[in-house]
Amino acid sequence: MNLSRDEHLHGSPAPSRVELRDVRDEDLIVMVQEGHKKAFDELVARYKGRLFSFILRMVKDPTLAEELTQETLIRVYIHAAKYREIAKFSTWVFTIATNLVRNKMRQRSRRPRVISLNPAPEDDEMPVDPPDMGADPTEGIHREELAELINEATSRIPEKYRIPFLLREVDQLSYEEIQQVTGLKLGTVRSRINRARNRFRQLIKPMLKNETLLQELERIEARAAEEKNKDF
Amino acid sequence: MRCHKVKDYISQEMDEHLPPDVTVDLTEHLDSCAECREFRDDLLLGRRVMSATAPVLPDNFEWKLQLKLNQTLQRTAGETAYPWTETDQDKWRWVRNFGAAAAVGMAAVLALAVFIGPENGPGDAVQAVSREGSSGEVQTTSAGAGNSDRLPLFVDRSRRGGLYGSGMQRPVAAGGSSISRTGGLFDRGWSGHDLEDLRTIQRLRIQNGQLNRDLFRQQQTIRGMRAQLDTIDTNALDLEQE
Repeated sequence: MNLSRDEHLHGSPAPSRVELRDVRDEDLIVMVQEGHKKAFDELVARYKGRLFSFILRMVKDPTLAEELTQETLIRVYIHAAKYREIAKFSTWVFTIATNLVRNKMRQRSRRPRVISLNPAPEDDEMPVDPPDMGADPTEGIHREELAELINEATSRIPEKYRIPFLLREVDQLSYEEIQQVTGLKLGTVRSRINRARNRFRQLIKPMLKNETLLQELERIEARAAEEKNKDF
Repeated sequence: MRCHKVKDYISQEMDEHLPPDVTVDLTEHLDSCAECREFRDDLLLGRRVMSATAPVLPDNFEWKLQLKLNQTLQRTAGETAYPWTETDQDKWRWVRNFGAAAAVGMAAVLALAVFIGPENGPGDAVQAVSREGSSGEVQTTSAGAGNSDRLPLFVDRSRRGGLYGSGMQRPVAAGGSSISRTGGLFDRGWSGHDLEDLRTIQRLRIQNGQLNRDLFRQQQTIRGMRAQLDTIDTNALDLEQE
């Protein structure tokens, strides 16, 4: 008979993914420490999307973001034994991810940059332009294009504001969790999130006035709600 | 309440971090200030856009993750701190592996020792029989000082003006006389002639090298098997299997 490692270790069949759905993250990682592979699968399912969203909006490159998401999850698995329940699991995971992203961005910044002889206006100061809808009114904006614009806008927020902003908006971490991940003071976390929101608003302001884009946003939200209902 | 302060409070209100009394003041201000209302609507819309455009991972992400995890585990096999507590059996695995490698090594050393070592057992190992020229006189000398457990390999040519100085006590057949067969030195491969003995040494070195290579290969095999064992553990990481 082919027994899984879970069965070898614990003598009983491993819990299925369905059974693990209601288990807390902190309990799942303890199960991973004890050798339950399915518990790790469940953690991957819970965190892969959130991690990818956060990392992609930090590094802007989908391939690199995927790579760093994998690296984060691999580190979670390899170093599972080091996790202690003094912090929330999500805090621990996003600390790993944030450190990886910071290292990668530091490496990038060390690369020599090409300086243009014709200085253009600072990227940060320019709002992100949506596609010209007047050119072809029949052509609506698609989700991918909208996502690209948002990524572009996000990437223009300075890094020190972007990290707490994304941890809050994308990953819904509390201020206290963001404080633990970033090592900043609570007041600093609050003010940086506030500033990032203002900057983000300035950057996407032209988009927010675009009717077609707002319609697409509503369509996306409706589709997402439908899919959620199907799952239940 | 000033608009500048209100914009700061709006952000906190979105995160439900505003005290109730300040929330009441904020609501009152928003009712009367169109600019601040627009500001808040923009921030909320920004949040909606952010949430609606969450990037989607490629379908094969989990497959690639499993592959990379396996590769990482293989690479770090033997060095990895396992994420699960080791069982008692696992704890002693390294002893078994080390024991096997040590046994192979010891066997190689023993084989060499038997092949080139003294014939009269360990008690006699410190004694070397020396025959002087054609006198037929047999001396038994203790080689206890210095390299007492080694047999000198070369002919004592000091009295014959050879290359090797005095102190070489290897029993040799010199001056046409032969060493007693009971000594068995010829049986061990020594001819008593320099060139042949050097060849023997060369041959033994080659054999020794071969044994070392075999030992190394065995260790590699053991390492490979351990890595394979670790890989088998991760095969359960198939997220599609229930």
